[in-house]
Amino acid sequence: MSLNFLRNIVFIIVLLLAQTLLLNHISVFGCATPLLYVYFALTVQRGEAKWATLLWCFFMGLLVDIFTNTPGVAAASMTLVGFLQPYVVELFAPRDSADDLRPSPFTFGSSKYTNYTIILVLIYCFTFFSLEAFNLYNWGQWIACIVASTIITVVLILVIEYFRSKR
Amino acid sequence: MRNLLDFLSRHNHWFVFLLLEVVSLTLLFKYNSYQGSVWFSSANAVAGKMYEWDSSVKQYFALTEVNRQLTDRNIYLEREVEMLREQVKKSNNDTTLVERLQQNIMRDYETIPAKVVSSSLDKANNFITIDKGSADGVRKDMGVVCGQGIVGIVYLCNEHYSVVIPVLNEQSNISCTIRGRGYFGYLRWHGGSPETAYVEDIPRHAHFRLGDFIVTSGYSSVFPPGIIVGRIKHVYNSENGLSYRLNIALSTDFSRLRDVSVINDREMDKKLELLRAAEDSIKARQ
Repeated sequence: MSLNFLRNIVFIIVLLLAQTLLLNHISVFGCATPLLYVYFALTVQRGEAKWATLLWCFFMGLLVDIFTNTPGVAAASMTLVGFLQPYVVELFAPRDSADDLRPSPFTFGSSKYTNYTIILVLIYCFTFFSLEAFNLYNWGQWIACIVASTIITVVLILVIEYFRSKR
Repeated sequence: MRNLLDFLSRHNHWFVFLLLEVVSLTLLFKYNSYQGSVWFSSANAVAGKMYEWDSSVKQYFALTEVNRQLTDRNIYLEREVEMLREQVKKSNNDTTLVERLQQNIMRDYETIPAKVVSSSLDKANNFITIDKGSADGVRKDMGVVCGQGIVGIVYLCNEHYSVVIPVLNEQSNISCTIRGRGYFGYLRWHGGSPETAYVEDIPRHAHFRLGDFIVTSGYSSVFPPGIIVGRIKHVYNSENGLSYRLNIALSTDFSRLRDVSVINDREMDKKLELLRAAEDSIKARQ
């Protein structure tokens, strides 16, 4: 339990540093920013207590909010993703799999894992940019941000998963 | 009763979910009015320190470019001052006038040099964090400028860090004027390119040309008059057709902002006090 706790903390710090120091400065075509910290929610194991997942995800989002001055936006979106993640895992997990299954291309199969990533990242980007813009003043840009950020985030996550499973 | 308890314990994560969402949305909507929210911004000590380290590394690589820009600007200003001095001497034979004017301009204002430790460009509401706070004399609502022009207004202060609302924020609203022509308008930004912004509420009878400089008006006492904002690129009609809406190219390059100055107007408190007294006396009369 405590090992898991420490691992989560280290993972959060690494994602936070990567996001705020590196990825936030990337802005392809003026709107595609990789939001890698969603990856935290994607790696939650099956069978993890749902309330704990929610708290961890909220904490991750809150930290990102603090560092990027978007109060509550990432926290609300991360909590939503943390809430939906267990149900989406059930959709894609193979039938006769272990109870503490960790979602990855290795356990899910690559095409299923890609779909799983796309769904959750899309939900995240949609809530994040909707809350951030709030009024649909510039809906062209709003849609562009959602689509572009989803694509770049999914690609980044798949690349990272590829290297992790190779080891 | 037992069924109810059973139900609650089975679905406890629903309540955690709702609670966390409520907390998040409270943060989102109360941020503007809640003073303690400085802890939930990049002005808190940990986030500020981290961004400071980050920018102190990056700063090194930008030094040459910044130096070149400052030298260019210096040469340009020197020449302008020289030209104006000649003009003034010609027109009223007083050689000390310029010196006296210069002293007058800066007498009421004091500048606090600061470094940008984090900033964003691509959001609808961008913020800048600087490495000076209330311990260095920075207060809420002070103006922030850089060598190239206007930057924004201080929004939140911690002891050693502050968050600035730059021009690139939909809530930014700075009074400015067309240099040499005297018409007033408000500087607004509506997302999109970090290089352009709009000046709204310029009256229909105003005369000006494309390429004219936009400068601060000095009305708000946040900025001294005459700080450069940008140049007019296009002119549009406002939506109700009652005024002009100027599309301007901002003179400040927000993507490479490093060194800024916070402007402390010593007279600001007195001006505000006077304004408040005037409002009170009107209310008393009604």
